[in-house]
Amino acid sequence: MAIAELKSENLTTVKQENQIVLIARRYLKHKLAVAGMVLIILFVLAAILAPWIAPYPVYKQNLAPVYSNPSPQHLLGTDELGRDNLSRLLYAARLSLFITLLVNLTSETAGVLIGAFSGYFGGWVDATIQRVVEFMLTLPTLPLLLFFSAILRGITVPGLPAEWSQALIISFVLIAFGWMGSTRLVRGVVLSLRDQDFAQAARALGRDKLGIILRHMIPNALAPVIVNLTLNLGGVIVLEAALSFLGFGIQPPVPTWGNMLQNVQQRMWEQPWLAFYPGLCIFLTSLSFNYMGDGLRDALDPRLKM
Amino acid sequence: MVNYLVRRLIQMMLVVIVSSMAIYFLLYLSPGGPLAGLGGESGSRQSKVTAQDIERISEYLGLYRGPAWGYIAWLTGEDWMDKIPQALWPKNPLTSEPISLQLSACRENDENCGHGVLRGDFGYSWQVARGSAVGDVLLSRMRNTLILMVGSTLLSLVVAIPIGIFSAVHQYSRLDYAFTTFSFMGTAMPVFWFGLMVIMVVGGNQAPIYKLLHLPYLPTGNVILVRAPLAGSLELLMSIKPGTWLDIAVHAILPTLVLSLSYMAGWSRFMRTSMLEVLRQDYVRTARAKGLRERAVIYKHALRNALIPLITIVVFQIPGIFGGATITETVFNWPGMGFLYVAAVGRTDYPIAMAFLFISAVLVVIASLLGDILYTVVDPRIRFN
Repeated sequence: MAIAELKSENLTTVKQENQIVLIARRYLKHKLAVAGMVLIILFVLAAILAPWIAPYPVYKQNLAPVYSNPSPQHLLGTDELGRDNLSRLLYAARLSLFITLLVNLTSETAGVLIGAFSGYFGGWVDATIQRVVEFMLTLPTLPLLLFFSAILRGITVPGLPAEWSQALIISFVLIAFGWMGSTRLVRGVVLSLRDQDFAQAARALGRDKLGIILRHMIPNALAPVIVNLTLNLGGVIVLEAALSFLGFGIQPPVPTWGNMLQNVQQRMWEQPWLAFYPGLCIFLTSLSFNYMGDGLRDALDPRLKM
Repeated sequence: MVNYLVRRLIQMMLVVIVSSMAIYFLLYLSPGGPLAGLGGESGSRQSKVTAQDIERISEYLGLYRGPAWGYIAWLTGEDWMDKIPQALWPKNPLTSEPISLQLSACRENDENCGHGVLRGDFGYSWQVARGSAVGDVLLSRMRNTLILMVGSTLLSLVVAIPIGIFSAVHQYSRLDYAFTTFSFMGTAMPVFWFGLMVIMVVGGNQAPIYKLLHLPYLPTGNVILVRAPLAGSLELLMSIKPGTWLDIAVHAILPTLVLSLSYMAGWSRFMRTSMLEVLRQDYVRTARAKGLRERAVIYKHALRNALIPLITIVVFQIPGIFGGATITETVFNWPGMGFLYVAAVGRTDYPIAMAFLFISAVLVVIASLLGDILYTVVDPRIRFN
């Protein structure tokens, strides 16, 4: 279906169409992907603007209305220390989204580089890297993430406030277990590209290996990598929230969507919103990222459509 | 074949030894640990714990041996360690006399010597179940984890495989889109939040299902609790005696369902992709071309090959079944392995954490060997190399 549409489109438009416009048009056809993107933009804006739009300071305790119901003063009520729930949710978005973006950009970049080198050089380099990747993919991720978060908990990055220091430690652990997917992906693409004519030509023209990898191999693998990155964003945000929920991530009083769910179980029936909204944020963000990835896959490379 | 197996076994042992050594050293060198916070700022006046106390605890736990000897003792036991020449023994930092590599309990009585992991002795718990043998602690949690994991694995497979097949055969149909949406939601859903929401709606006598609809509510946790069921609970309605198998099964309903959701979401997708791939192949077209009924094409020709990749999932579920579900067990207060592990890691109970990770590592390498062997059994085109 998709291929047939594409061809007819190419036939009717004679003039060369801008690649980006084409991709954007194909993306906009995917309704849920557009909805996801809008939602993500809103979340990112809320995170950036949190200090200005949050109705109360994030740590401000006000013991008079402890556990107050949603009201005009506190739209989403207050928690056990009388802190405004909406303000905390807005501030929580900052760390959750920051960690997710940092982890994904870093681990995908690392994965792309490792994968490209592995695929291009082949031989024992490739064999070693692939054994490591295979081994790491078989490991049970969550227990190891807990383990590393626990033993690195004591470390603080000098010169940073506590919450950003914790965020960097968590990101480091998540990156260490997040690079294998894109490594495999890029290696596969590079394996199929490295003996094609244009690569031969680049070699014949005397381009060095690094240049060929960076200039010719990696750009050709970017479409699936971008899709992979977007799809992984949703996974990382849930994983980070899980770590924080279990007490191995960002520590209270700094709010994240995960640790806001930590002690809600006792008051869940009296104040259901305390448990409901943080999880809803995680769920919606993750779902939006997944739909964005789905839309990007259809837009960037229709052949990849499942 | 024998050659291949021997080589694989040696590789497996190396992997397990190297990874457990890495974990042991990391635990040893990491900040925190059992002695952290005991002395406060070392030498501070307020601290009631003296340097001698710390010395004693470090001796009791065997920390003075350092990571290298500590690992060897952990792996092979300490009963033979009096035969190591004194020159290699660690020195007491206060008196600089050599200290025996055997812990004092072992020096006094041979029966108290650790036998090491290789002989099935995982040492004693430091915190979570202080003083009990780690092996016993693990075994006591095994039953609960097996119930939860086997139940949800089977349930998920039984649901996910037909969904995947249907979605692939009826690609882009309305139901396929519905299943796709379900799978997207399931992957995006944070299990802990889903668990909380399920508890909020149907669990406990505060839940709306009981308060508003007057339907029996389900138990949310405390499977080991032996107490008469409360008014309005499903147990009372079915007059289930606490502690019986039926009681455990009722307790398992919610965690099993919650855990299954994420498995189903992933596995149904996996099955769909695998089936689509097979349906595109030439031999399926041939089967159709020679006039076979569609049912026969799908169930006799396509399905068999589409099921092969499931081996990977099922095989790597083995370490998962041992390790339990960390998050689900925590949310539902389900005292299984995952719950134990979270407590052990959080409270620096290193012997339990080490034992858990070691057994997981062993199961992972066994699973990957088993997977490779099974592939050659079901698909003769794959050869050992």
